[in-house]
Amino acid sequence: MSVTRIEVKDLVIRYGDTTAVNGVSFTVGRGEHVTLLGPSGCGKTTTLRAIAGLEQPVGGSISIDGQAMYDASQKRNIPTEQRGVSMVFQSYAVWPHMTVFDNVAYGLRVRKQNAADIKANVERALDLVQMRHLADRGASKLSGGQQQRVALARAIAFSPTVVLFDEPLSNLDAKLRAEMRVELRELQRRLDITSVYVTHDQEEALAISDRVIVMNVGVIEQIGTPEQIYNRPRSRFVADFVGSANIIKGKLSGDGLFATDGGVTLKATSAHKPHGKESEVAVRTAYVDLEPRPGDNHVPGKVRQRLFHGDFVQYVIDSALGALIVRRPPVNLLSEGADVTLSFSPDHCVLLEA
Amino acid sequence: MTLSAADALRPRRNWQAIVTVAILLVVGFLVILPMVFLIEESLNVGDPMAFPPQAYGLKNYIAIFDEDINVLWNTLIIAVMATIMAILIGFTLAWILTRTNVPGSGMLERLMELPYYMTPLVGALAWAIIAGPKSGFMNQLWKGIGGSGDIADIYTHFGIAWVMALFEGTVAFVMISASMKSMDPALEESARVMGASKLRTTLTVTLPLVMPGVLGATLFVFAEMLGSFAAALVIGIPGRIYVITTAIWDSTLSYPPDYGRASAMGLTLFVVMFGMLTFYRYMIVGGSFATITGKAFRPRPMNMGRLAWVLFAVCLLYVFLAVVLPVAALLLTSFQRFATVILSQAQFTWANYQTALSLGPVRTAMANSLMLGFGVATVGVLVMAVLVWIIYRSQLTGRGAVEYLVMFPGAVPRLVFGLALLWAWLNIPISIYGTLWLLALAYFTVMLPLGVRTLAGVVLQIDKSLEECARVCGAGWGYQMRTVTLPLLRPGILAAWLLIFMACVRELGVSVFLMGPNAKVIAPSIVSAFASSGTELTAAMALIQTFTVIVALVILFRVTRGMTKELA
Repeated sequence: MSVTRIEVKDLVIRYGDTTAVNGVSFTVGRGEHVTLLGPSGCGKTTTLRAIAGLEQPVGGSISIDGQAMYDASQKRNIPTEQRGVSMVFQSYAVWPHMTVFDNVAYGLRVRKQNAADIKANVERALDLVQMRHLADRGASKLSGGQQQRVALARAIAFSPTVVLFDEPLSNLDAKLRAEMRVELRELQRRLDITSVYVTHDQEEALAISDRVIVMNVGVIEQIGTPEQIYNRPRSRFVADFVGSANIIKGKLSGDGLFATDGGVTLKATSAHKPHGKESEVAVRTAYVDLEPRPGDNHVPGKVRQRLFHGDFVQYVIDSALGALIVRRPPVNLLSEGADVTLSFSPDHCVLLEA
Repeated sequence: MTLSAADALRPRRNWQAIVTVAILLVVGFLVILPMVFLIEESLNVGDPMAFPPQAYGLKNYIAIFDEDINVLWNTLIIAVMATIMAILIGFTLAWILTRTNVPGSGMLERLMELPYYMTPLVGALAWAIIAGPKSGFMNQLWKGIGGSGDIADIYTHFGIAWVMALFEGTVAFVMISASMKSMDPALEESARVMGASKLRTTLTVTLPLVMPGVLGATLFVFAEMLGSFAAALVIGIPGRIYVITTAIWDSTLSYPPDYGRASAMGLTLFVVMFGMLTFYRYMIVGGSFATITGKAFRPRPMNMGRLAWVLFAVCLLYVFLAVVLPVAALLLTSFQRFATVILSQAQFTWANYQTALSLGPVRTAMANSLMLGFGVATVGVLVMAVLVWIIYRSQLTGRGAVEYLVMFPGAVPRLVFGLALLWAWLNIPISIYGTLWLLALAYFTVMLPLGVRTLAGVVLQIDKSLEECARVCGAGWGYQMRTVTLPLLRPGILAAWLLIFMACVRELGVSVFLMGPNAKVIAPSIVSAFASSGTELTAAMALIQTFTVIVALVILFRVTRGMTKELA
């Protein structure tokens, strides 16, 4: 990655006695789109708000473009309004007492731009979110989706270099969310902005990010590209939380070999250097075939249950590995009771960190 | 709040500590000091006018149970009767309006608020005119159709309780309907699905679920009734029925005033009410309300068929008794030379209004009340807005203490607080006793809970991220306040202003003690006019006061409707 834009180091944030963020470190490169992903209460939003200066950490440091925004050792904490970052709030925070135009113009007026520039910039921002025709409408008369667009336009209108997104799509219905996801990705590409995005929706995280940071109980579980996170989960938590996976218990039995509790030996791979105490492998439900492929792990099994989901078919297969969940494309349906051979590549049989 | 988050590491902290300490000192001086004076005086067994007391003892407390036992008895009987009636009225109306398909329920619900704005004082005056012995309208009519003797006498225990229930019972309605509204209709529907009849569902599901709410309301209303003053003053004193509040007032009128006795009674009342309200809050927090969540549901109303119109009539009857009849009686009285309901004998005149508006003392009293209302509401709202911001949005240490102090006057019966202020300011060496300044200060102090609660309601409604977003957009604290916080608060500030204004114009409990000969206000003047000048002039004065409040109220509804629209 190119130049570092945001650097978060050993960040610790406490609320009273509870530690919300416990030693989080990561960097975001210029123009990069990084997502903090995790269940509610994992500290992702708190971390984001600390970057914006809306939460007061107790330890660590945050710097943007090499300048310390917060540094516990230097007792330095730059106020929010001087950090030059922008943010889209989960509740949109569109001011109900202003028009759409006034909302979007706010950051420009704060920066004392002249009227002509303000008009031009607001219109440019509204065009990007296709809301120009509603510029004069009162903000309290907008639908959820429209408010979302106004919040987005407002966040980018003053050409910030860093935009923070706090679950911006979580209040939209599923269909609108999927559309906005595509638009957001487009927008990120078109504008030269660096963004940190917070979500608990793993699909969203995988779809729109350059890199994903998976968090749990205040610490980082794994950092990687969406493909790395999906294909090589490091821990049981990541395997479970991102996508769907079968967890098979056993122990290491040699170089790249894993002996399951059910007595099957699987060829496995690992995202980390194994230290011998590992006791689980994860196999993504989408990566299991039901016909033997050469070079794969092969285990005979029997279809116990078939659930037709439309986009895919979910089988529960009884085998020596236990009951395995397998998702296949909705073609060549197998009937319940059919004998099959579970087949998955050693690359997709990932040893999890103990 | 972001300000302190950003600045916490800078030396600003000292400045903030100074502000907090200053606020705590000033509010503490206004709120706590009078109570300290009151406690000290209640233990004074020497010369009651001496300060500081020459001798301490419990004589004043013992005297309550010794000499004033009949006062306690009256208080208890009247409070029990009033509570029962208020809960019956409240429960019936709440059930009709939330659980049945009564026609025009929206309009009816609005009408239910009116008795509250009538004020118990005006209501009591009106019912004294309607049901007073001999000259009361009901008795006039009774004699007019040939009856003998009186059929109605309001100057009884029941009469006082009746007026209290009518005008202070709206609280019961509000509380019970809130608990009925917050019940998930699915709880009842599932009983129906299981095969229970309507009646069985009501008995086995609805009532048990609503019961804690009703009990809570009963406790709350009973505590309120114990501290109720206006009806007991207007109706009880002519009928020589003293309750604890009027006994407190009375013992400050004797010569020499027995402030020690009054203080002991006041503190006893305070402790009893405070205990009951604490217990009430404990009940609310405790598990008994677990099934009733804070979420508002729209329960499916029961179809009552033709009976719905009967229920409609029941609601109207209440409005008739609590609003229409009293106002009509006051109007009729105020336009006559000698009040009579037999219209053929009536001599109509404007004279009472002319007198009310031209008679020196009355006119100054009205002018003073309006001036105090404007002044206290204007200055008060600004100060309270700052307090609200400190309590709910800042991260100052000690903001919890500020909140507690500010809410404290709400826990003290108004009359007792008035007594405490009286005694305190008689002895504090700042000579504003008997001036409008003291009244202004006192009004501000007792309006603190009302104003702060109203403003807090609006502040808490405003999503914090609306402010945070302004900061992220680059606005400093001042700019954010000016462009986001204050504009959003404006409707709430207006509403609080009007509520405080109304409450000041109607204020009685504190005013009766602090009004001086050169600083009269309207509510106590109405009471003394009733005692000395006859009902016709009093009725005119009461209507002028009510009219002022109604004008404020109409504006308030306009404003709040605009506000809910804007923030929706």
